[in-house]
Amino acid sequence: MFMTFFLQLIPGILVTLELFILTLLFSIPLGMILAISRVGHFKIIAQIVGFYVWIMRGIPLMLQLIFFYFGAIHLGLTCDRFLAAAVVFVLNYAAYFAEIFRAGIQAIDRSQYEGADVLGLNFWQIIRYIILPQGIKKVLPPLSNEVINLIKDTTLAQAIGVIEMFTTIKIIVARDFIVYPFVAAAIFYLIFTQLITKLFVKMEKYYAYYE
Amino acid sequence: MRIMNNCNCPLITMTNVHKKFNDFVVLNNITLTVNRGEILAVIGSSGSGKSTLLRSLIKLVEIDSGNILIDKSFLARTINGKVEYASSDILRSIRLQFGMIFQNFPLFPHLTVLENITLAPIKVLRMGKEQVIFEAQELLKKVGLEEFGDAYPFVLSGGQKQRAAIARALAMKPDIMLFDEPTSALDPELAAGVLKIIRNLASQGEKTIIMVTHQLKFVEKIADRVIFIDTGTVAEQGPPKELFADPKTTRLKDFLSHK
Repeated sequence: MFMTFFLQLIPGILVTLELFILTLLFSIPLGMILAISRVGHFKIIAQIVGFYVWIMRGIPLMLQLIFFYFGAIHLGLTCDRFLAAAVVFVLNYAAYFAEIFRAGIQAIDRSQYEGADVLGLNFWQIIRYIILPQGIKKVLPPLSNEVINLIKDTTLAQAIGVIEMFTTIKIIVARDFIVYPFVAAAIFYLIFTQLITKLFVKMEKYYAYYE
Repeated sequence: MRIMNNCNCPLITMTNVHKKFNDFVVLNNITLTVNRGEILAVIGSSGSGKSTLLRSLIKLVEIDSGNILIDKSFLARTINGKVEYASSDILRSIRLQFGMIFQNFPLFPHLTVLENITLAPIKVLRMGKEQVIFEAQELLKKVGLEEFGDAYPFVLSGGQKQRAAIARALAMKPDIMLFDEPTSALDPELAAGVLKIIRNLASQGEKTIIMVTHQLKFVEKIADRVIFIDTGTVAEQGPPKELFADPKTTRLKDFLSHK
């Protein structure tokens, strides 16, 4: 019986994992680019990024999913539900990651920039070799928070009909008139969260090689 | 014994350099020439503009007016009342002539001492890794840190950090070394090690050195010339022995009496 139940969950779990991994894969680099643009020399770009972050953080993710997916349909564009969810998740999470990375970049002492600048390193070399390696260490705790949020936020994809893990559970509950699948869902998210927490603890330990 | 390499050929020329932070004038029409190979000490009270003077030479501080000529290239010049800085290519070549040592020895904490020294020669000068590592190890020997190449900065004492910072700057083979109060964050014992390295560097006579410091005894031993900065102007200057023995201005007399 457990096996049957578990097999029914697999497609939903895969969708959740796929959405989670795709979001991280694209939103972290995009967030870094946005953060660097926000602290860079070009004020107009910094302001545009600031506006983008404001929009993305100000409107609930569920509404963004609805606007994007049904907006596309309204404009006569066909849009795959999962793809729409992935795009919105990437755009939304990139804004949050951008703010975390910006804080990390700005937490690096000014003397580090000056020391690198005096040695003749250019802006991108300073970012690549000095700021990011130090910034990553500083942002790991808030980053882990946001990644854990993402695990749970994947359930919002149901707003545009993506059948992820939690939607699968709800379907089973409605079909079989049983509630224990909700417990199974809670255990699934707890285990997932625990794995991510452990991963971040390992990363923090790795970066503890310097002070 | 110092090998005299102090020719009468200007390497740095500052003319009417003016800088203020908000309403506070930090550099007040400074005009100053530093010759190639010269060892110049900059003294003065805290907040008198010494560090700003040093930082303006490498555009860590942007001046409001005046001209700064490094060798034959303008770092900054004032045209029609507006300061124009050198293009990024010229600025880069000017910057590479300088090595700067800060008060707070900003080593990169995530890199080993050896990586701190080799990063810029590899990435900026595009030198071969093996050659750079060989030269870095030689520099580490010079500053007495040959056993600390693989150590991270956090295990070093303040004096060791500053010596590593000097090795890092020297790895770029600069013509001009700027020292901004290199021992002010160190206790006398640790400061002595750093001063010894600066003295060795000065005695080789290969570099032009400008040093902001409060170590007057040290200045007397190594400097060719001392300038006393007061409220953003060069209030007095001359060879250290003469200047310290016979200060002309009341401000310098007051300053020396407190040392």
